[in-house]
Amino acid sequence: MKTIIGITLKGIFRDRAFHGIMVTALMFLLILPAASLSMRQVAELSITLSLSLISFILLLLSVFLGGTTLWKDIERRYTFSVLSLPLSRTAYLMGRFLGVALFLVLTAMLLGAVSFVMIKTVSIIYPSERPLLWGTIFTAVLLDACKYVLLVGVAMLFSTVSTSFFLPVFGTIAVFLAGSTSQQVYDYLHSPSADLLGPSAVAAGNLVYYLLPNLSAFNLKVNAIYRLPLSSSGISLTLLYWVVYLTVLLGGSALVLARREMQ
Amino acid sequence: MRWYRVPLSALVAGLLLYAALLGPFTSYMARKPIEEKLGFVPSIKLIKPLSADQKELAAASLVIKVLIYFGGVVGQLPDRVVAQPPDLQGMSRLLHGAVQLDPYNMDAYYFAQGFLTWDAKQFKVANDLLDYGMKYRTWDWYLPYFAGFNNAFFLKDYAKAAELYKRAAELSGEPLYKNLAGRYLQESGQTELAIAYLSALLKGETNPSLKKTYQVRLAAFREARRVELARDLYKRQHGSLPASIGQLQQSGLLTSPPVDPYGGSFYLEPDGKVATTSKYAFAGVGGDKNHAAH
Repeated sequence: MKTIIGITLKGIFRDRAFHGIMVTALMFLLILPAASLSMRQVAELSITLSLSLISFILLLLSVFLGGTTLWKDIERRYTFSVLSLPLSRTAYLMGRFLGVALFLVLTAMLLGAVSFVMIKTVSIIYPSERPLLWGTIFTAVLLDACKYVLLVGVAMLFSTVSTSFFLPVFGTIAVFLAGSTSQQVYDYLHSPSADLLGPSAVAAGNLVYYLLPNLSAFNLKVNAIYRLPLSSSGISLTLLYWVVYLTVLLGGSALVLARREMQ
Repeated sequence: MRWYRVPLSALVAGLLLYAALLGPFTSYMARKPIEEKLGFVPSIKLIKPLSADQKELAAASLVIKVLIYFGGVVGQLPDRVVAQPPDLQGMSRLLHGAVQLDPYNMDAYYFAQGFLTWDAKQFKVANDLLDYGMKYRTWDWYLPYFAGFNNAFFLKDYAKAAELYKRAAELSGEPLYKNLAGRYLQESGQTELAIAYLSALLKGETNPSLKKTYQVRLAAFREARRVELARDLYKRQHGSLPASIGQLQQSGLLTSPPVDPYGGSFYLEPDGKVATTSKYAFAGVGGDKNHAAH
């Protein structure tokens, strides 16, 4: 499995899509001039822009790498040669997943370090009235990375059932959008204004809410930007949710891949 | 025939045409009507789900859009008279949208406070927005300070203003706000209250467009204060109020006529209050004409 992780990482570094996405990281250079447009919250705007850019880059990477890794292997029939080795399909899947996940975490740490430099520079030029909470910013980046690793799990599941890359790529984008807003929909369904919808619609909404990954739980941007206190029990629960949901996703993916006929 | 002649001539012709087109195209974009420039922004109900985990960025981009638009309007104007009023309703709509996406965004509250009061005369809208912000930004003394000023200066609710100034003083740890406000929380202290408020804002302002609007407004209030001092001196000397500003000049108490940077003219109301026809705001902008949207 370690070999597969190594091959996956090497493959990513050679991938042209990866190079293109990393060019987007040059936008970090624009954070300083863009943040200075703010009137009363320059440091806050620099954190907003940094965290948003990290999220955006991780989203692109998780969708394109997570959605195409397995599909490419199957399409190019690499799976035949790989699976003829003394290696189970589950180990192969886990190797591919862990390779991409590890890469995402490394990217998040690298971009986090670049953000630190940018935010620090901005806060020296435009001192903020309230001190920056670096621990909260770090936690926000870490949970963001967890969120996109979860999304890679979703992309892997779609890859095991699909014969083209359309479902893994567009399906993952759809899950990302729906998972980011499912909490809002749930809150609406449990407010008095949802009485008009009827009980069956509310029940259907609840079912979708429980099925979809709740990605808004991983979003700590507002805490990092405005120095709002973090709930340690809430973060622990979110991390537990992440482990459990990921286990279900990968377990499901392994089962589907094991039964899939390779043609 | 060399193979590259056709693509080369197409490229050269394209570049020449592009250069010729740039001038008219740029000026067309620059002359676009205000409504088009501020742009159509979809309902916040739609932006909210679409912005996924980027709500703070979406809110900041709405605020910056308004700010760049406002900077463009102010930048085009001559120093003294503001001829073209900005689309205050559109600006208010976008800023209200921004705080629905990110209720912590200080720029939105700060900027809305700047134009909703003097320019749009929407005091209740401004105070409701500040109340909404105070629920989230519980540490921020600026919001109660702004709301206190609105209550004292525009709504003449001195009790409410004193309460808000007290809160601002507690949050900032700066008793000055409480004492400063106490001195001016009465009808006769209005001009000085405005001067203190605008001076405080001007001190921390880095944005050139806003700085300019504060400087103009502060200059107008300083002129009004000059007239007030002359009026008070006249009353002490003659035992009665002067009938007009001209009378103050004739008596030698006012060396030069007061100049309203908004293009209006100062006058004395029957009770002696100094007022200006511009009402310290952009020319042609009235509360009835520009109802800021919620």
